[in-house]
Amino acid sequence: MNPLDEFTRRLTRRAFFKTTGLAAGRIALATLMLPELLRGAPSDRGRAHPGLPGLPHFKPRARRLIYLFMNGAPSQLDLWDYKPRLQELYDTDLPDSVRQGQRLTTMTSGQKRFPVAPSVFRFAQHGRSGIWVSELLPWTARVVDDLCVIKTVHTEAINHDPAATYLLTGSQIPGRPSLGAWISYGLGSEADDLPAFVVMTPRWSSKRDAQALYQRLWGAGFLPAKHQGVALRSVGDPVLFLNNPDGVDAATRRHMLDGLAQLNQIAYERQGDPEIQTRIAQYEMAFRLQSSIPELTDLSGEPQSVLDLYGPEVAVPGTFAASCLLARRLVERGVRVVQILHREWDTHENLPRDLSLQCRDIDRACYGLITDLKQRGLLEDTLVVWGGEFGRTVYCQGELSRTNYGRDHHPRCFTMWMAGGGVRGGLVHGETDDFSYNIVRDPVHIRDLNATILHCLGIDHRRLTYRFQGLDQRLTGTEEARVIHGILS
Amino acid sequence: MDTVDWTLFLGRWHPVLVHLPIGLVLGLLFLEIVAALRPRKAVVRAAAGPLLILLVPSTLAAALCGWLLAGAGGYDAELLRLHRLTGLAVAALTVLMAVAHAFRRSGWYRFLLVVCALALVPAGHYGGSLTHGRDYLARHAPSWLKPLLGGRTGAGPATGPAPLDPAAFDLYQHGIQPVFDRYCISCHGSEKAKGGLRLDHAAGLWIGGDSGPAIEPGRPEASLLLKRMRLPLDHDEHMPPEGKPQPDPADLELLAWWIAQGAPTNRTLAELTPPAHLLERLRALPAPTGSAPASNAPQPPSAQTPDPSRMPGPEQIHAELDRPGVAIAALAATEPWLQVNAAPAGARFDDAALERLIALCGPRIRWLDLGGTAVTDAGLRHLRGAPHLERLRLDRTRVTDAGLAELRGLTELTSLNLYGTAVTETGVAGLLRLPRLQHLYLWKTEVTSDAVARLLAQAADPTGAQDRTAAAAGTRSLSIELGPPTGGVEPVAGVPINTICPVSDKLADPKRTLWHEDRLVAFCCDDCRETFRREPTRFTARLAQLAQPPPGQLAQPPSNPLCPVSGRPARKDITVAHDGRLVAFCSEACRDRFAAGPGAFLARLASGD
Repeated sequence: MNPLDEFTRRLTRRAFFKTTGLAAGRIALATLMLPELLRGAPSDRGRAHPGLPGLPHFKPRARRLIYLFMNGAPSQLDLWDYKPRLQELYDTDLPDSVRQGQRLTTMTSGQKRFPVAPSVFRFAQHGRSGIWVSELLPWTARVVDDLCVIKTVHTEAINHDPAATYLLTGSQIPGRPSLGAWISYGLGSEADDLPAFVVMTPRWSSKRDAQALYQRLWGAGFLPAKHQGVALRSVGDPVLFLNNPDGVDAATRRHMLDGLAQLNQIAYERQGDPEIQTRIAQYEMAFRLQSSIPELTDLSGEPQSVLDLYGPEVAVPGTFAASCLLARRLVERGVRVVQILHREWDTHENLPRDLSLQCRDIDRACYGLITDLKQRGLLEDTLVVWGGEFGRTVYCQGELSRTNYGRDHHPRCFTMWMAGGGVRGGLVHGETDDFSYNIVRDPVHIRDLNATILHCLGIDHRRLTYRFQGLDQRLTGTEEARVIHGILS
Repeated sequence: MDTVDWTLFLGRWHPVLVHLPIGLVLGLLFLEIVAALRPRKAVVRAAAGPLLILLVPSTLAAALCGWLLAGAGGYDAELLRLHRLTGLAVAALTVLMAVAHAFRRSGWYRFLLVVCALALVPAGHYGGSLTHGRDYLARHAPSWLKPLLGGRTGAGPATGPAPLDPAAFDLYQHGIQPVFDRYCISCHGSEKAKGGLRLDHAAGLWIGGDSGPAIEPGRPEASLLLKRMRLPLDHDEHMPPEGKPQPDPADLELLAWWIAQGAPTNRTLAELTPPAHLLERLRALPAPTGSAPASNAPQPPSAQTPDPSRMPGPEQIHAELDRPGVAIAALAATEPWLQVNAAPAGARFDDAALERLIALCGPRIRWLDLGGTAVTDAGLRHLRGAPHLERLRLDRTRVTDAGLAELRGLTELTSLNLYGTAVTETGVAGLLRLPRLQHLYLWKTEVTSDAVARLLAQAADPTGAQDRTAAAAGTRSLSIELGPPTGGVEPVAGVPINTICPVSDKLADPKRTLWHEDRLVAFCCDDCRETFRREPTRFTARLAQLAQPPPGQLAQPPSNPLCPVSGRPARKDITVAHDGRLVAFCSEACRDRFAAGPGAFLARLASGD
């Protein structure tokens, strides 16, 4: 039975007069004492994504976020964390003093040996800052002076599902809002005809089947559902069923939506279910997307010089390069958070082949994105974050040879980079040991990373809360999280 | 029809009504004391009855009016909470007292009376602090009494003038704000904001209060602040009010001079020199004692937030502007600054809309995004009403050099985006005098890279009196962003189009290459190369998947038929990249010679093509 119906049925006339009579007087006195009650909520006047009052908590450094999530965990040893001494340790066992009892996944727990596998890729120093980057990322290396490379991110989770959930929603247990949803809830968005939080899931080149992505990684959890990420499809129409069916023109559609909104409003007044408000808002947003999405995905106005920045794949919809270009167009139009989830970095075997293919997908596009944002002056107030959910082990998984090896999951240290709004460029934060196994200096837990991202956007992570299940829930959870001031400009 | 704000009207009766319960409670206490000492107790005690009948309603009325007055705002939150708690306690106790007296429980009555009288002390004290400031009693008390009265010890000015360092002496922070601190903020500060005016931080001056902005930068004679301060002392509207300490005429002159300079908040004495007598006055000021930070510093979350009901909030401004697509938000919740983004409105946002926006909230705008809007040079004139702009985006608008001249007054501008406009070097050169400008975006304009070099040189080595300010500030470092050089990619020797061997799917060796259909293909080993050479069609599909052609000319095969070093026919697979294209050689020895010193062979290369 509908609990709302039960509730209304229990309210007899006698009970009504008993409880409500006095309450009416109380309400009258309350409105006299607290005149704000009578003023009512300020009308949004057509603002599709108003933020919370009282935010930003302090002057922000960045107004937008582009999150490039490398699902599957890219190998930090073969991309960013240069450990030349490992070449001498080829095929030696990983010492227990280094491993310190770190738990193994079931994929390697049956191995008798854990031989060290040095990277086959050459590293070189790049830019004025002299950051070491491997040969797999030649284009990203060109913009390394704008990047802040954090080598000491760490987490507790050791498998993809809990780790990705942990990184993007703040807890290994599902059910919580994602980073983008929190930002949409707190700051709203500046574009009225595009969602506040857009997600893209491009295809990948590695020759493996990928880990699945889940809607909860960009979901709204217990926040109102309109804060969830809107996923643009990578193949075909970016948004399904956006176009009017045959015989229905825009005016008819508008008329229908107005009527539908009225019906929904009546239902809301009867039942008080906040999800009805979400639904009204989503129908309205879908109507606006009908005009804004075709304009967004129409690349005919982009000059060839700009398309060349992203590489040749940019014209192919559904690739990472195309997603990066769309991301730039989205933030230009005022979208608050754009998240691109690129899959299949999970190189358990055939790492040299698969990692090369993966890097080819993203390398030129990352260069293109940073350069394009910079030349338009968007980089100074857009924060770009790149990284996976954990790192990879220094020991080989499977057969080790001079030209081929694989790596297992490694949560104790991995590399992410940030660029743009408020982050110092050309900086390396933190240091790992010679095996890229443990952190020597400046650990950054993923909670700290999330706190720093919120800080760059002008949000104090302790004060952006939502009361749910009796707790003032926040993105960084109940445990302590610090903002990494050392990387902020 | 007159709309009466009853909360405000009734609320203001609180100071009138509240003294009645105070007097009556103390009177009742006095009666009890007298009754204890005199023989005719009953008569004395009977007088309590009528007094209580007067006391209870007046206490409740005073409490109600006080509650309404608190709702009107403008009071320090912490003090208000304490005063409210203790005041309510007094009201509750008076009611209980009356009940005890009615039931003839004299023991209870006397106990409650004493407690009520004791509760009056903090309630009254907090109430007085709310109106007159926390250190009202303590300010002029002897120092041994100060701590008891809640005064701030050692809050007096530091002894003697410190040696004046012109570069460190911020004119506003250390010269002007202390004047306000001394004479004004007891009524126009964070605890109390009479008339809606706050003078404890810079933004309060141009936001002003109920009567409008307090100052007009550049026009001291039109500034309301100075007008009120210069009125005769017995004039009703003279500020500070009669009975409060009055500022020195030299202070007024200092204020006038500062306003005439445009009321800058970020200049030091090194940059602006006041007349000699004012300089003496500044030297005589006490050294800065770490007073309230300038409004730009992020305020920690505290009870002293400016009352949002006093200033039109972003939603109200948005409603009054009534243009779709303009996003107005606070820059930070505790500060009055705004960020405005009109870019989503696009062509619907024109000069008229800009004029309306500036009229509504110009002085409060810090970040303004007009990218892609229909704003023109004429509209930029209105930006004079937004002197505190920090970031301005005018990209992809029809702005030209003429419009840039209007931006010269934006002294606090740090970032200006002009990409995609028709501006040229001359227009931009005029902006270099802006002392705070750090980022300039000129992609897709008429400004060339040579022009940028000239502009940077000019910015670094200024000539002329006005540019001394930038040199003296020493902190400005201008960066001009033009976008990456078109077609200019660093030459990389013989770049193959793939990193994975199309035959074996293993990592390719860039030295084992083959030219196929004018593209350089790499293989992992010689066997794969041979396999591909014999049957290329088997692998072209896979190659197409793996190929990533290098940009520009490097993808083209070398065009010289003869080796520039030896003159013999050149082989296409021994190449080096030079000046953006590939040059072929007959042997690797020749290639190494060329790479060591290309200059000697360029002539032969040019003639050989």
